[in-house]
Formats: sequence, structure tokens, C-alpha cells
Amino acid sequence: MSEEIKPHEIVDFLKPRLNARFRTWLKICARCGLCADTCHYYRAHGNDPKMIPAYKVRFLRELLRKKGRVDRDYLQKIYDTIYHECNMCRRCTLFCPFGIDIALMISLLRAMLFSLGIAPEGLVKAIDNYKESGNQMAVTDEDWVDTVQWVEEEMAEEVVGLKVPIDKKGAKLLYTVNAREPMFYPQDMMEVAKIFHVAGEDYTYSSKPGWDATNLAMFCGDAGTSKLIVENTFKQAEELGVQKVAVTE
Amino acid sequence: MELFHDYIRDGRIKLRDRIKEPTTVQDPCNVVRSGGLAKKNRQLAAYLSEDFRPMKQQGNYNYCCGGGGGAMPMGGEMKKDRLKCGGVKAQQIRETGAKIVFVPCHNCIDQIRDLSKEYDLGIKAIHFKEAISEHMIIPPEMIPKDNDEE
Repeated sequence: MSEEIKPHEIVDFLKPRLNARFRTWLKICARCGLCADTCHYYRAHGNDPKMIPAYKVRFLRELLRKKGRVDRDYLQKIYDTIYHECNMCRRCTLFCPFGIDIALMISLLRAMLFSLGIAPEGLVKAIDNYKESGNQMAVTDEDWVDTVQWVEEEMAEEVVGLKVPIDKKGAKLLYTVNAREPMFYPQDMMEVAKIFHVAGEDYTYSSKPGWDATNLAMFCGDAGTSKLIVENTFKQAEELGVQKVAVTE
Repeated sequence: MELFHDYIRDGRIKLRDRIKEPTTVQDPCNVVRSGGLAKKNRQLAAYLSEDFRPMKQQGNYNYCCGGGGGAMPMGGEMKKDRLKCGGVKAQQIRETGAKIVFVPCHNCIDQIRDLSKEYDLGIKAIHFKEAISEHMIIPPEMIPKDNDEE
């Protein structure tokens, strides 16, 4: 955090990304306050005006006005607001008379901080895991396949003829999970195996990276890693020739 | 969740019985508001329940659990904030009087389980998968011979 901030880096990052949509939103917001009561942070903090969604994105406007000339304390203020006071749930947008997408603006601010090397530790750890193993929990390919096979063994005792297909070419569905399932909640995979079998679903898991449906890189605006994660799944879907990708949720 | 809904709607999965305790359902932001599955989420909860009690604000208009947007995987640094802002969700759940909360999202479910402890809600948060696999009919030919059921 002690490195010098280069104002042009902030401006160079924001300018090309602030397209017509963002610029319109910044101009059109009438500060009417209709978004206030829609926000669970606002309500949980005793209607604190600092928690009004429209106020949380003031930084975009300010950064441009200040031409990126801000200090570390200011960046910390942005961080505290966009990570600790917003879940990017998009509820405020539903109530905004102009449909301003506050969450997308928060997302742009997160991406801006990420470009300066500022992001929550927990998310950075997950990003490292994605890059290394293709999933957020750093489950190895061997452990993953072992888990899927174990799920099949366990469930075949409960349901006659139950199979849990891996890399089945031409299956209708590629089924992807949250990487927390093989780590902490294998029962979720067991329940799904049972439901799919009884429903006669034609599905498959993939043995290679791409089986994790989560994309935590997206939450800190790391577009590069986000893309890599989606591409992993897409590649498996293409190789296996499935018609659809289903996610665990 | 959409698949499960369709299985039951189309009769590919038949239910033996339904949950007797009062239930409600969480609308995860990315599944419902951004994913467009509000109706199916509610309908699936209703299929599985004898006493389904939707939250006051529901579907697209439901509140975030407080764990979204990376708040859960941020870990310790976010815990205090997410439990505080989740107070709104805790209140919504309490108002329904539900004992079971369906939560079709791994992120929301961890948050709602934390909220239940923090606000003493006395609820059980479960995935649809759990309820379906417990309450569905297994065709007789799929039941192992040495067991009477399942």
C-alpha cells in the first residue's frame, strides 16, 4: 500500500470503460433517494444516509473530477464502501426511476482498485487457486475424480443401477458444482446423483478444470481470470459435445 | 434449481409426501434477480411444502442475504458487516414463522446459517436437493432388495 499512486493509471483505466451507459447514469441520477430504502445496508444501519446506494458510487464522479489525483486514504475509503457496504445485489436498480445499475458501477470501481493491486485477501487467494488448479478451493484433478467416483460408490448402494458419469461424450448436460461441494458438502453431490438417476437425466461431470461453477474473480473485477474460468467450462462443454451446462444452484 | 422444478412439474420426479413444517424460500440475487428464476424458485418451494410461507418481499424484490458480491469468500474481514446487514434478512425470515428455509445458493446458505446462529432464528437452511432427495419416490426397481426403503 505504500507505493505511489499514479493518477494517469486511474484515469487511463476508467476513461475507456466509462461508456455511454455509465456516463448517462452519472449524469441522470437525480439524487431522489428512492434507492435508499431498497438497500439492506441502509436499513440495517438505522437509515444512515451514507448507505444510500447512489451516494456509494460518488467516487466515480470524484475520481474523474480530480483527474485521478487521490491519496491512499481516499482509495481505502473507496475500498471500505464498495466491499464493506455493498453486496452488488442490484435491488436498488429495480426501484430506480431510471434503472441505474449501481452494482455495475460498484463493479467498475472494484475493477479499478484491482488494477492498482488492491483487492480483498480472501478473493485474491481464490484467484490464485483458479489460476493454479482451475477451481477456487485448489482441489487437484485426482482428488476431484476420486470424489466423483466415491459419490457413485456410496449412492449405488442406495439406488440400484446408479452411475455418476465423468467425461461422457455427447451427454445432454454438463453438470458443474461449487468447489466447496467436493471439499465440504459431498452430500450435495450425492443428492443430485440420486435425483438425476431417478429423473433419467443424461448428464456428465468433467474430469478437467471447468467443473467449478463459481467465479469469484468476477467479484473483484479481475476480468482476465474471470474469462479464464468461463473458458475452462466452455472448453469442456465443447469437447464433450453437450447441449447445455447446468450449475449446482 | 430450474431443472428440479421442471422434473417435478413434468412428473419425472414424483414426491412421496411434502414437508409438514412451515417453510419459506430465499431468492438468491444471482439466481432470481439476475437469473430470472423468481417464479420457478417459489413454485418449487410450494411443490415441496404443505405450509409454504413466502417472505413479505419476494422474488425479484427480495433482499440480499448479506453474503453476496464476494462477502462470504472475503472471510473474517467481512464477517461483522455481513452479519449486521443480514439483520434485514433475519427479520424477514422471522416474520414468516418458517422452520425450514430453502436456499438454492451455496453462498446464501452459509450466510443464512450464520444469521440463524447470530439472531437465534431456530431455523434449518437447506438446499432443494436435500428436500427432493428425501421426499421423492424411488421406483421399486431402483430400491436395493435387502432394504425396505431407500
